[in-house]
Amino acid sequence: VPPPLSPQAFPLPSLSRRLPTLLVACGPAQTGAIGLVCARHLRSFVGDTGTRRCRCRCRLQVQLINDAYNAVVDAVLGAEAEVAEGTEPCAAVLATLKHVRIPIVSLDVPSGWVAGRGGSSDLRPDVLVSLGAPKEAARRFQGRRHFLAGRFVPEELQRKFGISPRRYPGSDCVVAL
Amino acid sequence: DRCRCFPRRAMHVPSAGSGPTGLRFLGQEEAQAIDQELFTEYKFSVDQLMELAGLSCATAIAKAYPPSSFTTSQPAVLVVCGPGNNGGDGLVCARHLKMFGYQPTVYYPKRPSKPLFEGLTTQCKKMDIPFLPEFPTEAAFIDELYGLVVDAIFGFSFKGAVREPFGSILSTLERVTVPIASIDIPSGELWLHLPEEGARQGGPSSSLAMGLVAGWDVEKGKADGLQPDMLISLTAPKKAAMHFTGRYHFLGGRFVPPALQEKYALNLPAYPGTDCVLQLT
Repeated sequence: VPPPLSPQAFPLPSLSRRLPTLLVACGPAQTGAIGLVCARHLRSFVGDTGTRRCRCRCRLQVQLINDAYNAVVDAVLGAEAEVAEGTEPCAAVLATLKHVRIPIVSLDVPSGWVAGRGGSSDLRPDVLVSLGAPKEAARRFQGRRHFLAGRFVPEELQRKFGISPRRYPGSDCVVAL
Repeated sequence: DRCRCFPRRAMHVPSAGSGPTGLRFLGQEEAQAIDQELFTEYKFSVDQLMELAGLSCATAIAKAYPPSSFTTSQPAVLVVCGPGNNGGDGLVCARHLKMFGYQPTVYYPKRPSKPLFEGLTTQCKKMDIPFLPEFPTEAAFIDELYGLVVDAIFGFSFKGAVREPFGSILSTLERVTVPIASIDIPSGELWLHLPEEGARQGGPSSSLAMGLVAGWDVEKGKADGLQPDMLISLTAPKKAAMHFTGRYHFLGGRFVPPALQEKYALNLPAYPGTDCVLQLT
């Protein structure tokens, strides 16, 4: 029986830098907004985090990202994305993120997976956090940790949409899948 | 070339841990000033903070009174919601309690006609949380049906006299024997007019030197005001909390940005990990 999983995929002692620094990449729509909320809470979880949300149009260098950050939160595109993936600056951001070597945590859907067909050119996140219920694209996820979050879907809605109910432990707002 | 997106090194911001002066208890004006700053400077919406506040309350309740600890056949909770934001916190709390496996029932006699409160009410109703048409007439009925009462009647910004039906409700709740969990500040005029120095021995009911507190009739004998078993202080504890003598005091509302904590020297102890509540006692 595997030991109980901590909801924290990256507990603070495991981060190699003195201060945990995370790059939160926020896209133009709802997923990006969720990334902003995530960044704010991450900041309050650790007083000294150097969380940054980068929305500039500059060219993001893969090596600089690998050096400056411990992990990337991918909040660029979600399940709604079809058109946005091809437009700047999202396309450039995703092109860069596909090559980083530090872990990527994707919110809801790995950015670009919905529009893409799957394959080696896709973003490969280490952790996926499905929101509300896992999306179709999550079937292809092969990373290390898959969490369900967004503990707000009433039972009636879960039944109506055939979402198999998941037991969140106690009053936790995430469950490891 | 490095753009400004890349930190030279992560900025070191000293976290607001316990200072040498310890945890601070806020006066009404100060608490309101912090709230104002959260809305006007930090651009939080009322919805956002109310959701986090209500979630904290439900989480604290789940820690202190887990469903397995109830002697009633179901973990039944009565949530009494007042006419303002404290009531809104209660509605959010009820919804999360339902998610956590409790059976909440709400009493919400005075409902503001604003989308925020109408929405919160709809969410509860669509999750099969019953709304009582009238308040139980006897404390004994409450004791029999529920294992816990959540007091979400009045918060720290309450001013003036207690209007009906809340006077009668509070009188009944004072006689209830099941635990009461109060959100932010125990409801009732007694708690708003406490002296601002530290707790007197025996709690707010003890000393005649308290003088004439509005609504507290010395002749009534054991008219102690609400004596909750649990208090969930939101953001930071208020001065009234210095007189709290219940078993559980939790801090919730983990949304005050570090810079704001610094500015007001809140000296909040560190929340454990990613928890949204901190047990103070």
